[in-house]
Amino acid sequence: MIHVLHQVSSFFTSGGGHGEEAKPISAIVNHHLTDSVFTTSAASHLDKSDYIGRIFMNVFSGINETVLNQKLFGIFDMRITRWVLMMWMAAFLCMLVFIPVARKIKNAKMGSRSKWVNLWEVLISFVHDEVVEPNFDHHYVKKAMPYFLTLFFFILFCNFLGMIPGMSTATGNLAVTGGLAILTLLGMLGVGMIKQGPFSYWAGLVPHGVPAFVIPLMFPIEIIGLLIKPFALTVRLFANMTAGHVVIIIFLYLACGMFKSFAVGVGSVVGSLMIYMLELLVAFIQAYIFAVLSAMFIGSSMHAH
Amino acid sequence: MDVLKEGLLKLDPGLLLWTIITFLVLVLILWKAAWKPIVEALDARAEKIRGDIENAEKTRIDSEKLLAQHREVLDKAHSEVAQIISDGKADAEKLRNSIVEKANHDAKEIMDRAKKEITLAKDKALSELNAEIVNLSTEIAAKVIAKNLKPEDQKSLVEEALTKMRTVQ
Repeated sequence: MIHVLHQVSSFFTSGGGHGEEAKPISAIVNHHLTDSVFTTSAASHLDKSDYIGRIFMNVFSGINETVLNQKLFGIFDMRITRWVLMMWMAAFLCMLVFIPVARKIKNAKMGSRSKWVNLWEVLISFVHDEVVEPNFDHHYVKKAMPYFLTLFFFILFCNFLGMIPGMSTATGNLAVTGGLAILTLLGMLGVGMIKQGPFSYWAGLVPHGVPAFVIPLMFPIEIIGLLIKPFALTVRLFANMTAGHVVIIIFLYLACGMFKSFAVGVGSVVGSLMIYMLELLVAFIQAYIFAVLSAMFIGSSMHAH
Repeated sequence: MDVLKEGLLKLDPGLLLWTIITFLVLVLILWKAAWKPIVEALDARAEKIRGDIENAEKTRIDSEKLLAQHREVLDKAHSEVAQIISDGKADAEKLRNSIVEKANHDAKEIMDRAKKEITLAKDKALSELNAEIVNLSTEIAAKVIAKNLKPEDQKSLVEEALTKMRTVQ
């Protein structure tokens, strides 16, 4: 029984990999929650019966080893990794869902009767009412909607894809959340400099009415404050998405790696299930928080304050 | 700084760039293919619903006004009907009274006339009877007394007899 559980759990957390015995917990966590480049050697480790997986692995490792083997500008290692693939899957899912839904919403003048369409419509209205509208002036709402809709649903899909056994959470990685947060930062700077003018935006960072001698002190502090906002976004999403996974892995490790007893197994599976439920909630909340904070930052940079 | 190079906190610049590229491409694709039509359709629908609600409000106010008008007309009609009925009743009462009065009056007249006629007939009959009685008694007396009496005595006798008859009558 424990053996079966172990097999299941190692499949669960490694995406069908073969679980070796006596690995330290940190190694297991690292194995499941960190990125890995697709290489031909990794592809050859895959099970023979996993045709689709092998085709994918071979295609991506082929691309990696022929086209993308040079570092872009010497720093950017553009080889396709597991996390890149997960992002692409999330992006593809977004298109798969929203392009047909858009056509249906457009054609149904009185509102579609389809539950599927209405589900997404509710979420779109949610983004409109809760994320964009409170943070933007009336006539900018329509312009801001596409970015925040994409942001919300991309993060949401990445989060939920990571909840499927065998998949990985792209948003549980600092580089991914950092990339999204950098876009928010660029949005803040760009919108601020366009709406307020390049000079007055930087001047407006320092509050009005402070004594002149404080300004050299205030300016760096305000710059740091500006940078901390996206940094907090980065860490918040990353930590939230990673923490739940770590706890699930540890719960299963208790049963499979540490105690190897049936009683602990029951408890830890129940515990990990509860964490899983919690993570489903967190996945939605974090997508919302990232979107709403981005909207708040970008929206507030429109006016000097 | 090993933790930044390997492990959970590793920050891979390549992945970061891929994120930005993927996300921006996704924004562009969905903007053109999905968000634009969706947001436009939802806005149009919201606008339509707002218009519908405004229309409904306007129609409601109109119909309320109409209802009040109708109610007023109805009230007026009710009071008119009541007036007509009471007028009719009064007229009928008056008519009835006048008819009854006339009937009474006529009846009285007829009765009076009848009484008068009866009186007249009685008087006539009495006078006729008187004359007859005078004649008869004269004849009877003439026959009984024959020529013994003077006409003056005869006359005073007759008149005496007549007075007697009248007092008897």
